[in-house]
Amino acid sequence: MTVSKTMDSGAQVSVSTTSRARFNSDLPQVWIGIALIAVTGFLPSLLGNSYWVHTFHLVNIYIAAAIFQNFLFIDAGQKSFGQGVLLGLGAYVTAIFFGMHGYSFAAASLIGLFAAFLGGLLFALPALRVQYFHLGFVTLSAAIVFPQLLMSLDKWTNGINGISVAVPWIHHEVIFGLSWLTIMVAVYPMLALVVHYAIRNSRLGRQMRVAALSPEAARTLGVKPGVMRFLAFIIASIGTGICGILYLPAVSFVSPQGFNMEMSFLFFMAVVVGGRGQLLGPIIGMWIVFILPNVALVEYVDYRLLIYGTLTLLTVVLFPDGIVGSVERWRKARSVLGRGEKAFRIDPFLERLKNNTQFTPSDTEYAVEVRNGVKRFGAVVAVGGVNMKVRKGEIHGLIGANGSGKTSLLNVLSGLSRLDEGSFLINGHDATRMAADRIANTGLGRTFQTPRIFTQLSLWENLRIGLDASTTSPSEGIRQLAAQLEAEFGQDNAELLSHGQRRLVEVMRVVLKEADIILFDEPAAGLSQSERADFAKLVRFLSRNLGKSVILVEHDLDLVWGIADTITVLEQGKSVASGAPEALARDPAVQHMFVGGARA
Amino acid sequence: MLSEIAIIVVRGVAIGSIFALIAMSFNIVHGATGILNFAQGNMFVLGGFAAFFLANQVDVSWWLLMMVVSGLLVAALVTFQGWITLLPLRSAVEQDSWIISTMAASIILGAILMITQGPFAYTVQSVVPSFRVFGVRTPGAYALAIGAMVFWYFALRFFLRKTLLGLAISAISQDLDAARAAGLPVRRLQLIAFAISGLIVGTAGFLVAPVISVSPDAGMRYVLNGFVATVVGGVGSNLGTLIGGPLVGVVAMLTAYKIGGSYQDLASLLVLVLILMVRPQGLFGRTTARRV
Repeated sequence: MTVSKTMDSGAQVSVSTTSRARFNSDLPQVWIGIALIAVTGFLPSLLGNSYWVHTFHLVNIYIAAAIFQNFLFIDAGQKSFGQGVLLGLGAYVTAIFFGMHGYSFAAASLIGLFAAFLGGLLFALPALRVQYFHLGFVTLSAAIVFPQLLMSLDKWTNGINGISVAVPWIHHEVIFGLSWLTIMVAVYPMLALVVHYAIRNSRLGRQMRVAALSPEAARTLGVKPGVMRFLAFIIASIGTGICGILYLPAVSFVSPQGFNMEMSFLFFMAVVVGGRGQLLGPIIGMWIVFILPNVALVEYVDYRLLIYGTLTLLTVVLFPDGIVGSVERWRKARSVLGRGEKAFRIDPFLERLKNNTQFTPSDTEYAVEVRNGVKRFGAVVAVGGVNMKVRKGEIHGLIGANGSGKTSLLNVLSGLSRLDEGSFLINGHDATRMAADRIANTGLGRTFQTPRIFTQLSLWENLRIGLDASTTSPSEGIRQLAAQLEAEFGQDNAELLSHGQRRLVEVMRVVLKEADIILFDEPAAGLSQSERADFAKLVRFLSRNLGKSVILVEHDLDLVWGIADTITVLEQGKSVASGAPEALARDPAVQHMFVGGARA
Repeated sequence: MLSEIAIIVVRGVAIGSIFALIAMSFNIVHGATGILNFAQGNMFVLGGFAAFFLANQVDVSWWLLMMVVSGLLVAALVTFQGWITLLPLRSAVEQDSWIISTMAASIILGAILMITQGPFAYTVQSVVPSFRVFGVRTPGAYALAIGAMVFWYFALRFFLRKTLLGLAISAISQDLDAARAAGLPVRRLQLIAFAISGLIVGTAGFLVAPVISVSPDAGMRYVLNGFVATVVGGVGSNLGTLIGGPLVGVVAMLTAYKIGGSYQDLASLLVLVLILMVRPQGLFGRTTARRV
């Protein structure tokens, strides 16, 4: 028995040497994308086919714009129907200063880029307040209004006549029949692709994705979702503005009709048809939605909106993942396998953190202190005058019937909602008015009733967002732990985890965050008996071996009585009793909570 | 001066009633499904086309009959569109595919109108004669618009509160899972909500055809202004649309008179951004407790 156990944990911890299928194919997609852009961008010039040279100038500029749309739409979760406006601002403002006022192309481009940046700011402002379809309508309205404004403000824009420009040097041959323009419009989308990949795999990119998928979870990990959206819009507006600047010499002419809604739709639809979130998606998508109607079916050019719309509708109904996404899904279903019980276990890893220090709860210092806290939702009083003291390093059980205000209190402590009256302190500092991300950064971590597991991220990335949230550079133990976890779970699919495993992933995330106060919201719900026992050991370990303070909201009273140092009882939003488990079990205020009226 | 104010207010309220009607059609579908149908603007314009092809220069009885026909035709089309929109929601985890599919439906409908009818604005003769308000000649269709808004407001109120079917739809807007658990045929009720929204815009587009631009590219503008009216009133509140619609209409008229007709949509966009920044839940919207 002992032998097999050692072997078991040994196998868990060792780096698996057999090569496993990639969790996602982002990196290969980048290489394929670069190759495809290189072929379409350079080959027509090398062959001297000027029709295809011109067509792919435009296609590759649009691909770059769609790449930024893809980033904004999926990585940052912002549904913008107005990216054509940003491209139009870059192109038009550059044309105005270059073509009408005689600025140099470089200077005019900078002004154009700045205009696109301002446009991005205007989109980002409402995005700070509202989400979901509201933002879709705001950006859609912008796409409707933009060409109208270009027409009406004819004093500055030349109205319906548009602006013609000539940038002779940009068409001169540099090498092998390639002009400056050809090189720039081919290299730029490649660059955009690399930028998208780099952001997605950075700390910023992961935090953006978490903020898009679950704003509450992001806030409890120290991320401000508003800032993430804002940054995403700024990045996308600059990226799309550059597309506008390249558009100008490629087309040599701008007019209001060139920047109507159709352009914004084109970028959006290319992303959907190609495959939302797939790095290669915008390239394949743009080839289909743009080249098909504009080149292959050129005699039906009037039908192109109908074709965009139909392709998109068919994609959503038949292949919701888009073309690249469907291929990717098929690959994953074939090769990325679940690992059953072994998919995620926490104890062999925590062994590594074990040291000989034994912590005991402090008698004088408090991790959390709530003073007469009141929280109302309209007329409903969820928390009505709670007093609670959580000693540093202790396990503090918080129990009470459904609706007694336990989760509301946790939400207050983690900053997701605010007290209407009273105050609370974290580590002796007033935190009553602190935002969730600041509270998280003072060293508080929490789990949720429904675990926040992000299936778009690999299992390791799901853990890594905890490490990303750490405010100090990680300790040696955590660094080693992280390296092991990465080696073990780098390519694993979090979607295949069981419910109990998902809970453990959330716990490990908080451990990696190095939070010293951990809030658990009904962690044992849905766990089996043996999982509960393991979980109790884990909480014990966190408190006694790592010195963390734990607040445990739980309905399983046996579990709470087994591990808690102190228990607070809530009833109808009030704290009615608090004390050590043994003493509390005899308290008449608590007796009625047990079956039969007394704890066995 | 006084007549100018009268024109702005009367026409603004009348145009705003159209926005309010579109807003009500948004609300019933949104309540039952959580979907805001981007194609609603083109569906409305389709009602206008129905008036042009079925009821131009006809007598009143035929006109009334055709209004019902127009409503039923558009209702059938919206139901079909709703069915397609709800298809991927049956199983997929992706819950916002409707933003894309209703947008695609809107583009398809606009493109079909453009291909078959060309980019022209069609003129429809009014059956109801014009009348004078504060000495200003006002097309009869403006009165119809206001009348239709009031009619549909009370009709929906009665339907949602007093009929079994309406109560069932109200139930799914409050708690979809509970309604399903209680045995309500949720999918069928959602399609009925789509049908009612089609009935609203189909009849509304038909009634006001003489005073709107019946053209393939008008749909987007109506869907935008209808949405602004919805947000101003508070998403889900039909009472709010009675205020939101006319307010947006008056702002549009004021802009047209004082600055220029081509700035109307810009004014609506600014109203939208302003209300979202200041009071995102709208005038009559409710704030809901956060769910964690």
